[in-house]
Amino acid sequence: MSAGMGAAMTWPGFINPIGAWLFLAAIPLVVLYFLKLRRPRMEVPSLVLWHSVVNDQRVNSPFQKFRRNLLLLLQLILLGLLVLALTQPFIASSAGSAEFTPVLIDCSASMAAIDPATGKTRLELVQDEVRNLIENLRSDQQLALFSFASTGRRLTEFTNDRRMLLQALESITATDVPAELDDVLRMTAAYTTSFPIREVLLLTDGNLPPSVEFELPFRLDVRRLQLTAANLGITEMSARRSGPQEWDIFIRVSASSEELLTADLQLYLNEEQLFTERISASAGEGERLVFPVVSAGRAILEARLVPGDEDALRTDNQCWLSLPEARSLQVLTYGRLPAWQRAVGVLEGVEQEALEDGVPEQTEYDLIISNRELPAGISGRQKLFVDVIPADLAGLVEKRDGVSLVTDWNRTSPLLQHVSLGEVQIGDMPAWGKGAGVGELEERGYEVLAEGSSGPLILQKREGLQTSWWFTFQTERSTLQHRVAFPILVANAVDTSLRQASLSEVAAAPTGVLPPLQLEPATVYTVRTEQGEEVQGRSGVTGLLTGIGAATVGRYEVSDGSDVVAVVGTGLLSLSETSLSAVEELSFAEVSVDAETTVVLDTDQPLWWGLAMGAFLVMLLEWWYFQRVRGVVQ
Amino acid sequence: MSTATESRYSRLFDNATLRQIERMRLRPLRRLTNRSRGEHLSGKGGSSTDFADYRDYAVGDDLRYVDWNIFARLRRPFIKQFQHEEEMHVVLLIDASTSMLSGDKLLRAQQFAAAFGIMGMLNLERVSVYGIHTSGVQPLLFPPSTGRTKIRPLLTFLEQLEGGGAIPLEQSIETMLRFHRGRGVAILLSDFLTLGDLSRPFNMLYSSGLEPWGLQILSAAEIAPDVQGDLRFVDSETGDTLDITNAAELLGEYHQQLQVLQDYLDAQCRRRQGRFLSISTGEEFELQLKDRLCRQGWVLR
Repeated sequence: MSAGMGAAMTWPGFINPIGAWLFLAAIPLVVLYFLKLRRPRMEVPSLVLWHSVVNDQRVNSPFQKFRRNLLLLLQLILLGLLVLALTQPFIASSAGSAEFTPVLIDCSASMAAIDPATGKTRLELVQDEVRNLIENLRSDQQLALFSFASTGRRLTEFTNDRRMLLQALESITATDVPAELDDVLRMTAAYTTSFPIREVLLLTDGNLPPSVEFELPFRLDVRRLQLTAANLGITEMSARRSGPQEWDIFIRVSASSEELLTADLQLYLNEEQLFTERISASAGEGERLVFPVVSAGRAILEARLVPGDEDALRTDNQCWLSLPEARSLQVLTYGRLPAWQRAVGVLEGVEQEALEDGVPEQTEYDLIISNRELPAGISGRQKLFVDVIPADLAGLVEKRDGVSLVTDWNRTSPLLQHVSLGEVQIGDMPAWGKGAGVGELEERGYEVLAEGSSGPLILQKREGLQTSWWFTFQTERSTLQHRVAFPILVANAVDTSLRQASLSEVAAAPTGVLPPLQLEPATVYTVRTEQGEEVQGRSGVTGLLTGIGAATVGRYEVSDGSDVVAVVGTGLLSLSETSLSAVEELSFAEVSVDAETTVVLDTDQPLWWGLAMGAFLVMLLEWWYFQRVRGVVQ
Repeated sequence: MSTATESRYSRLFDNATLRQIERMRLRPLRRLTNRSRGEHLSGKGGSSTDFADYRDYAVGDDLRYVDWNIFARLRRPFIKQFQHEEEMHVVLLIDASTSMLSGDKLLRAQQFAAAFGIMGMLNLERVSVYGIHTSGVQPLLFPPSTGRTKIRPLLTFLEQLEGGGAIPLEQSIETMLRFHRGRGVAILLSDFLTLGDLSRPFNMLYSSGLEPWGLQILSAAEIAPDVQGDLRFVDSETGDTLDITNAAELLGEYHQQLQVLQDYLDAQCRRRQGRFLSISTGEEFELQLKDRLCRQGWVLR
């Protein structure tokens, strides 16, 4: 049951009560009946016997009066039934009591799973229920259809136009992305200002995140299909560099069924099959496989699962992974930073350019460590500034004379993982400006990673894929350089840069949005799917092509108009979708909503067809009675 | 013996039937007679040659009627009684209302009235005929007459009797009794289709010394109506209407009610030493006369 549900069935309502005026048609019907009932006049010598007959009939049959005018009675009943049918009476159910009802339809990847009992996909089963809801829609009731997967999509405005609603319903197809409720709920909540929405109907298979950070402004009626199916799918694929040109490919296969499911896992490198492995998995006991792959240049790996048993979902049987070209991490240490240079220099896979002053050899680096402003035209994906306060924080953070101690730091930050800054003494005293605090910095996009006794010590700012760190103090005038935490910190910065440059680890991209592609700046690219659909995108000034939607599993070719410049692939890669599991309860802010298990959607029960059928039977009865009487006479 | 070329004596029936009628006699259940002499045998002692009974002698009796042979044997005087032939009054009441015009019912009533009248006249009874059709109007009267010479006027009267009117039978009887004097038989020729109570007029008939003989004359359409569907019946006399739905379904009930009416009339007549018979105009008059009336004991052949 949904929160607040449980309204008892009430008296029948009428969708078209105005039709009751047609009951007045009974008046002309009666008048016309008696006018039309010009019985043939027949002169008889005397009415004595007939009077006796009629009187005797009246005594013996109390309904003789009705029988005398049985035809009129039947016609009145027929009229009554037809008019009642016209008023479209219905027995209201709780689900249909709201006048404006948004209907949220889950079209995430798991909705494409085939129900073995019916042979239909879960989405088709939900569509059947919504179709029933639309067909039984009252004239004063309006629906708005929304579909959602990772994002919400409004299919119709509030309307009672059945044709439009059915058309929108038929247009819904399952996508290859996991389900997220936040977006569609926010979209629905926006309608509450314009429409009196009391209840929102959510139709899903229950494969949803159990917790949603959203405060419900309405009652959510969750209708969950109770279905089980056996499914096997790839839920994880990643690669880690194991040598200059060697990669370890990690693939995790998960299953939805308690029974052991088997399949053949095939791995292709640039469409050339490398491995085939027989795997078996069950719910909770997935299989993780490692394949060694040698690749010097850019390559694309495809993992393909060929199920040996029943498999409800096909979209999670394939995924792709793009391997980058093998190269060293380009690091620039700019300025006098001997400790940093030494720490970077001992790391493997790093090509360092140490420059105290002057113009760097390259214009683009993976990591730049500097204690001053960079020369114009030099860019880096990751930048680390030492003893620099960002220009846009002037007045908020300032340097004063004195010493500082680290009071707190963000231990989960990639830069500060395994780094202990306790008891680190600093010969500078970065301090907060007048009236400044963490809030002001956050407004400008900065995050305080380490805070000293007087002000921020380490700041971080993300701009797209670029990350910048600022040490607001001189590391040389601190005990940090003399502690074991320092090389760890430098290694963290390098590792982050390696990951950012996809030089050490790379993960397969899930569906939703294509991973950012580093291409030529300010160029229009065409992204083409395997199905032939094309989307155009323009790279930014840094050459980053982002925001290309990838709702379906498959390969995407990126071309600049003539040549294919990149090939990427996506996979479902969602453990929750592959497991086809269903949540029993959805947690919202301060509210929990049970996901009701139902197969048949509770809708208004229309009565008009029953009345129309009754009218038809009355008409048949009238015809039969009329024919019978005539037959008796004959 | 009648022949084909023989001219009819009356348009009511042919001469052969007339000759057969002349040989018939009425057969009343009681012997209600007038004091005047006739050919009808009275229950009282009379002077005819037909022996009736003995009774004890009483002072003042005519000694000529003492049976001396009995006296010789028994030594007691007995008066020998003879049947008295007295005149019986035959009253023929013809219901000539509008209802009798349908289905030749009036004609059949005229035929039977003629037959009964002829029987009575030839038996030296006094025969009178009342033709009653309209309420408040003096009835058409054929005065009490007897003898063969009155047959022709009787037939003429009957032949000229025309129907039409809306008088109920009970009123007809009461009207007739205001004019009539004499005991005998009152033969009521009617369809007896009246809403009124017939007990009172029948009592009045009985009190007046008249045996009530009811001859109900119905047309074939009244005995077996050919009706179907929804009809509006119009009373031929009163013009009243009655709407009937699915008349065919009610035919069974109609026949039942007709039987109830006939049983009622039969009981009314029998209770007053009378007779009742229902006939249909669909049957031949001669057959009804020779067969049914004889079998029912109305007439003697």
